Amino acid sequence: MNGRFVKFVAPLAVGLLFILGWEVLVRLERIPTYVLPGPLLVAETLWRDGPSLLGSLLVTLRITLAALAAAVVLGGALAILFSQSRPLEISLFPYAVILQVTPIVAIAPLIIIWLKDQVFLSLLVCAWIVAFFPIVANTTLGLNSADRNLVDLFRLYGASRWQTLRYLRLPTALPYFLTGTRISGGLALIGAVVAEFVAGTGGTDTGLASRILEAGYRLEMPRLFAALLLLAATGITIFAVLSWLSRRLIGHWHESALWPEE
Amino acid sequence: MTQGRSSAPIIALEGIGKRFRSGVEALAGIDLAIKAGSFVSLLGPSGCGKSTLLRIIAGLVPPTAGRVVRAAGDLSQRLGFVFQEPTLMPWATVWQNVYLPLRLAGRPPKAVAARITETLASLGLSGFEQAYPRELSGGMRMRVSIARALVTDPLLLLLDEPFAALDEFTRFRLNEDLLRLWQRHHWTVVFVTHSVFESVFLSSRILLMTPRPGRMLADLPIDLPYPRDEALRMAPHYTEQCRRISGLLREAMA
Repeated sequence: MNGRFVKFVAPLAVGLLFILGWEVLVRLERIPTYVLPGPLLVAETLWRDGPSLLGSLLVTLRITLAALAAAVVLGGALAILFSQSRPLEISLFPYAVILQVTPIVAIAPLIIIWLKDQVFLSLLVCAWIVAFFPIVANTTLGLNSADRNLVDLFRLYGASRWQTLRYLRLPTALPYFLTGTRISGGLALIGAVVAEFVAGTGGTDTGLASRILEAGYRLEMPRLFAALLLLAATGITIFAVLSWLSRRLIGHWHESALWPEE
Repeated sequence: MTQGRSSAPIIALEGIGKRFRSGVEALAGIDLAIKAGSFVSLLGPSGCGKSTLLRIIAGLVPPTAGRVVRAAGDLSQRLGFVFQEPTLMPWATVWQNVYLPLRLAGRPPKAVAARITETLASLGLSGFEQAYPRELSGGMRMRVSIARALVTDPLLLLLDEPFAALDEFTRFRLNEDLLRLWQRHHWTVVFVTHSVFESVFLSSRILLMTPRPGRMLADLPIDLPYPRDEALRMAPHYTEQCRRISGLLREAMA
């Protein structure tokens, strides 16, 4: 039996069984749709409301990707800065931690008030705060994880600080950075949704979170589920794309990215 | 011919001592002059400070007493170092790994391609240029590591128990290849090992060290003629030398 085939089929079978059980339960128990719609109804709603929901998804996706890009650029730059100056790392890292552990729902209202005229920017900042820490933490760790002997070898050959960074520390840090990015991808989406929730339903082009809130108020559970489904699919897609990218970039040498049979 | 080429020391140690911050005294009162073109082994049990001494010679670790006198000329650019592990960059191909010292010296790849090709060939690595370290066996990785140390055409080659982790067959092969290259290129070699057999087979001179703190116990010239090959490993005068040195070591440890 092919291992990769099993890896694909087993979770799929579990999913299908779950959906089947769900549909059966809803029908047998005659659960009203405003409590729990069956999967068929959700699929139907997704088909019907698809175009309008996709528009909202695009809004959320734009915030998510912009936040992830900002997290990659600023997080990576901050990590490189940290690796070049230990005092800087010691003085700034605690604040990165504080930013990370403070619940975003608690500070999102502040940010939205401060940036009241720029809705996109305020949502972007919220999502970025959630997303940037794993990249900073992982990349910093990676930059400081260079093989001791290789560091000595670079010293022996009189390598400059820039050469050591370029040819040793950055390649060493790449797998760590990619792991951080994969975590951040999911977090950026969560951050974007949370920020939209806090921002409420106002505005013209609303994101998926607002549609979920709206559907909840109106007890339109099938639409709520359809929006949730889109959100989950988006999260999975982001993760899959980043995993694929990771494999493309380091698959030829790093253990984490090798297929088991290799 | 190689041995008598020059009698000037390429490097000299005067009263070298090393005490670690933990308070452990690793080395004490080491005086040593290494002649250009010689193959010197630092032989001793683990913990005798021989690796620390090698790092002091390389300039990677500062001594806490004494001084290191290097021969005139810029030795730092003409130094090769081989670690106990191959210490290759896993993200880089064999070719890129061997190119590293030249890249750090600012040499463009085109200008040194011929030299890299030649170095790889001399270590039996032709055809593996585009392989990644993880695709190679332990012995092949060590060959790449040695190629990287040799590609700068070093005056002084420092090896820190490079073959300790390899199987016997591979180790013997690499011993012979190393000797062959040494005879062709006339670099000076300082070779750290804890194997009596390996040090006698390779060296023109063996420095016996004892631990806690690391001191020089004996300075032994090995007058077996070069070239040395597989047949020597079974020769009576070789085993006799090994027996004598093992005896000295055992005496010192008792």
